[in-house]
Amino acid sequence: MQRYILRRLLQGALLLFIVALVVFALARVSGNPIDLLVREDATAEDRAHLQKALGLDRPMHEQLYIFLTGAVRGDLGQSIRYRRSAAEVFFERLPNTLKLLPLAMAGALAIAIPLGVLAAVYRGTLVDRLAGGLAVLGIATPQFWLGIVLIYVFSIQLGVLPSARMGGPSHYVLPAVTLGVFLLAGMMRLVRSSLLEVMGSEFVKLARLKGLSQTIVIWKHCLRNALIPVVTLFGVYFALLVTGAIVTETVFAWPGVGRLTYEAVIFRDYPLLQAVILLKAVIVLSVNLVVDILYAYLDPRVRYA
Amino acid sequence: MNIRIFLNLMLGGFLAVGGAPAAHAADKDTLVIALDTLGAQVMDPIMDTRAPHAHYHAPVWDSLVGFDLEKGGIGPGVAERWEVAADGKSWTFYLRKSLRFHNGDPVTARDVKFSLERKMSPESIASGAAALRRAVDRIEVVDDLTVRVHTKGVIPYFAASLSRAVFMEGSVMPKKYIETVGAKGFREKPIGSGPWKFVRSVPGDRIEYEAVDYPHWRGTPQFKRLTLLLVPEQSTRLAMVRTGEATIGSIGPEAIKEARVGGMKIVSVPGTMQAVYQFWGLYRPEAKGSPLADVRVREALSLAIDRQQIVDHVMGKQAQWPMPFATFRYSSDMSIPRWDDWARTALRYDPARARQLLAEAGHGGGFKLTFWNTALPGTPFMVQIGEAVAGFWEKIGVKVEVKTTEWGAFDPMTRGEQKALVGTASMYRTAGRPEPAPRYIGSFNSKGVQHLLGDPQNCPAICQDADRAYEAVVSERDDAKRAAAANRMIELVAKSWIAVPIIEGMGYWAVNPKGVGFFKPIPGRHEFGDVTERMPRPEQRPWP
Amino acid sequence: MSTEASSRGDLARLPWISFSIIVVLVVAAVFAPLLAPHSPTEQSLPDKLRPPAWQEGGSMKHLLGTDVLGRDVLSRLVYGARVSLTVAAVALIAGGGVGLALGILAGYTGGRVDNFIMRVVDATLTFPTILIALLLAVSLGQGLGTIAIAITVIIWARFARIVRGEVLSVKTRDFVALARVHGCSHLRIMAVHIVPNVLNTFMVLLTLHIGFVVIVEATLSFLGAGIPPPTPSWGQMVSDGRSHIASAWWLSVVPGGAIMLVVLVFNLFGDWLRDWLDPRLRQV
Repeated sequence: MQRYILRRLLQGALLLFIVALVVFALARVSGNPIDLLVREDATAEDRAHLQKALGLDRPMHEQLYIFLTGAVRGDLGQSIRYRRSAAEVFFERLPNTLKLLPLAMAGALAIAIPLGVLAAVYRGTLVDRLAGGLAVLGIATPQFWLGIVLIYVFSIQLGVLPSARMGGPSHYVLPAVTLGVFLLAGMMRLVRSSLLEVMGSEFVKLARLKGLSQTIVIWKHCLRNALIPVVTLFGVYFALLVTGAIVTETVFAWPGVGRLTYEAVIFRDYPLLQAVILLKAVIVLSVNLVVDILYAYLDPRVRYA
Repeated sequence: MNIRIFLNLMLGGFLAVGGAPAAHAADKDTLVIALDTLGAQVMDPIMDTRAPHAHYHAPVWDSLVGFDLEKGGIGPGVAERWEVAADGKSWTFYLRKSLRFHNGDPVTARDVKFSLERKMSPESIASGAAALRRAVDRIEVVDDLTVRVHTKGVIPYFAASLSRAVFMEGSVMPKKYIETVGAKGFREKPIGSGPWKFVRSVPGDRIEYEAVDYPHWRGTPQFKRLTLLLVPEQSTRLAMVRTGEATIGSIGPEAIKEARVGGMKIVSVPGTMQAVYQFWGLYRPEAKGSPLADVRVREALSLAIDRQQIVDHVMGKQAQWPMPFATFRYSSDMSIPRWDDWARTALRYDPARARQLLAEAGHGGGFKLTFWNTALPGTPFMVQIGEAVAGFWEKIGVKVEVKTTEWGAFDPMTRGEQKALVGTASMYRTAGRPEPAPRYIGSFNSKGVQHLLGDPQNCPAICQDADRAYEAVVSERDDAKRAAAANRMIELVAKSWIAVPIIEGMGYWAVNPKGVGFFKPIPGRHEFGDVTERMPRPEQRPWP
Repeated sequence: MSTEASSRGDLARLPWISFSIIVVLVVAAVFAPLLAPHSPTEQSLPDKLRPPAWQEGGSMKHLLGTDVLGRDVLSRLVYGARVSLTVAAVALIAGGGVGLALGILAGYTGGRVDNFIMRVVDATLTFPTILIALLLAVSLGQGLGTIAIAITVIIWARFARIVRGEVLSVKTRDFVALARVHGCSHLRIMAVHIVPNVLNTFMVLLTLHIGFVVIVEATLSFLGAGIPPPTPSWGQMVSDGRSHIASAWWLSVVPGGAIMLVVLVFNLFGDWLRDWLDPRLRQV
């Protein structure tokens, strides 16, 4: 088990290194932050001054060296726009995103599981099709548009929910739904198909032979096993949510890291962009690692694969 | 995994929500403004650029030179009046009496000297820091309420550059306080002498202020609190204003109709910017064969544009007929009626004449034109104006290849040799400011950033004329003679048809009339950082 | 409860409605110039924001109304089908192709190569995908090519992962061992024996990802990095129309509806294709 964990940790470090290289390169080709910081009538001298102040006049390999050695020490540099430690800016906003993601995940599961079960039990019938269609609608709607339509319906027309920003419990409903719907289709399909698989297996047939009722067989025996693949994919879902948060947070003026990422791109805030992506990768990888270790713990075959 | 818990949670959530009243509106004592940007959200005037400064620094800090509230342009500020020495090389500012910082300390000449020097310091990233460093020789404290700035040479627009009407360099900061608590302490608990006191700043979300409890020269706030919200998405801002969650929200002209349908009022700030298109590098040898090198072709392209349609339909009637390049109806140093007249005839819509000019130039069959359609972040309507302009050009037979480009990708191309831009057209904008000359140096001087008429190695007659015209303006201290020189400079550019105004834009705001009374913006100043203190409550002054 | 036998779809159960909608869409995309009543870029500012024909103020001249610049929404929708489906096709062929090749390579070769490729797949999947696309769009400039590259970068990993799993099971079958015994080269085995056996999976993945690509394109437009105007694309249309929900609902609802429809019908079609070709492949 320890060897497995160690191996996964090393792989994680390698992944982070790849991510760091990619983000460094991508940030540099995306343009120069100086152009967005200086005044329209700035002279070449003003620009040079600012460039030097930000350390952007050094050769590329030197900038990379500074970035990587800094990152190893835990120093991700100063945000150009906020003039503060990039990591500090990130961690200031992170709690806000972490308040939203679990709700979105829980909401998605709460709808996906019953829908998946219904679709599996009534497989091939109209119910199956409707459930499938409903779930697909979730991925068929551009997230930003869904958010705006939800605001229009629930805040403006019905006046029952606030349109944006953090606040009391009611403020979480629309962003969580917008974010969660994104996962719905995939989850629902997975629950359906793995449930079907389990229902065809020997032990379920046995349970039925024992005369247990349909409901008990499905909810007690099948679902537990059918949910294993959903749990395995938890890490992937989490990564999807982190990505989805970029759009959701923009629409709902949610002061989290998704919105921060987008701003870092638009303002070419290299250090911030590097820090945000790297730290997000660390979080996503850690979540994946924990899920995998738990899984390996539950299912010994994985450890030795 | 327990399904029942999930279901209960969901059900509970919906019930809680369904039962709650629609009371998300802000309370009556708080003025809530939803903005598309809060800049870097650092509470220190040396740490942000112009527009964000005018949004969220302005409530806390007063500027040395202020506004002409009626006309736009500059007026009294912390300095009630100022005068320039006979040799033009020093400016004396006479400060307002009994003005205090929020901690009770008086505002003195020493604070002004300290503030200007802090603005020029190496740690300052304020947009005009470098210009100030170039301009200022030394600052002298004459007495408690008098400060004299000695400049390096004659700088006719020095006072203006210390007003938020133009730049942000004039913010007056508390010397003693900053020296006591340090820069970090100042940023955490900032104080100034403005009509609003800082309360708290939540990164990425909002900044809260509280009104001072004494009469203020800029106006005594009628609301107890002011909150600025960062709401990046326009539709969301509109929704918040409509539901009352925000009182005022910044919008673009494309959203005016939507706001009216929702029962909101529109406040437009005149003369905040000019949308222009311009041709790049036409003086260069490689552009010699271009149809654009012919001034008749360039004039034809202007005559092809129906500006009234753009004003009416793209800008929702909330825009004005433009004046010549970078000039506004509040501009100083020029003859407004003359150029107003000129603009109304020369910038007319005359497609027949346009076709005729094209034919005379030998391009009656049309030609190909590359057009960079670009817009600063937060101004998507500029892209629509660009599309409309391209549409009008197509109608007179020009094949327009529209290249829609994000600002961050376009702007670097305008630097240095501008290789990618030579012989092409692009959208551009000039922000409103009272004197045209500083804009002209950037765009037309051979040493300017854009040098549209020529560079030092390659300066044809028109470029040399423009350089001379500019020098004549900035070295002239007599107002009438300077206006005459400025008129010549404007004329030269206007007749070149190289940088052509499309419309004079406005800043737009959607307002919930139940949350705030009728108020007037400051012409040319899009941001409301210097307006909030004069906004009445809805019952004090209802909307017409 | 259905029986095992019915798990296999057949031609008779072809979802005719979905299939015909797909045909209509493809025809619209191919013959856009013949079908569209107006030019998709021709403006008429005085005619801006006309509602659809059946609403008050609408006319038969513009069946689905006009946009903020007075362009015909129906024509833009028809041309937009062309743009959006082209983006989807290019991106899927490129991204899917890369994923297919690397998936086969990883699955067939195994060992270190497999390990390395799968680690890169993992890295890609942990990256905020929209962000890669956004960064590419701001660095390479907006356009069809950029979006295709960006989407390639996003989806190859999904394809590679599933194809690899498929290859692992195909590899153990007798005919592969037999080919090896007969002295076939690895390359030949991959091309002749493995590819045809994973092609079904690949086809299904393709249909299921078309909607995904259209959505990514729309999201990029929202973030300001989509297909640049004036070229009409559905994503750009929804994005532009989002500020007009109360005053001109058709601007975003019409293209939004089109996107939903496409995603829905391709998913239904893909489901059927999956059941028909390969009932084992349920987890995609």
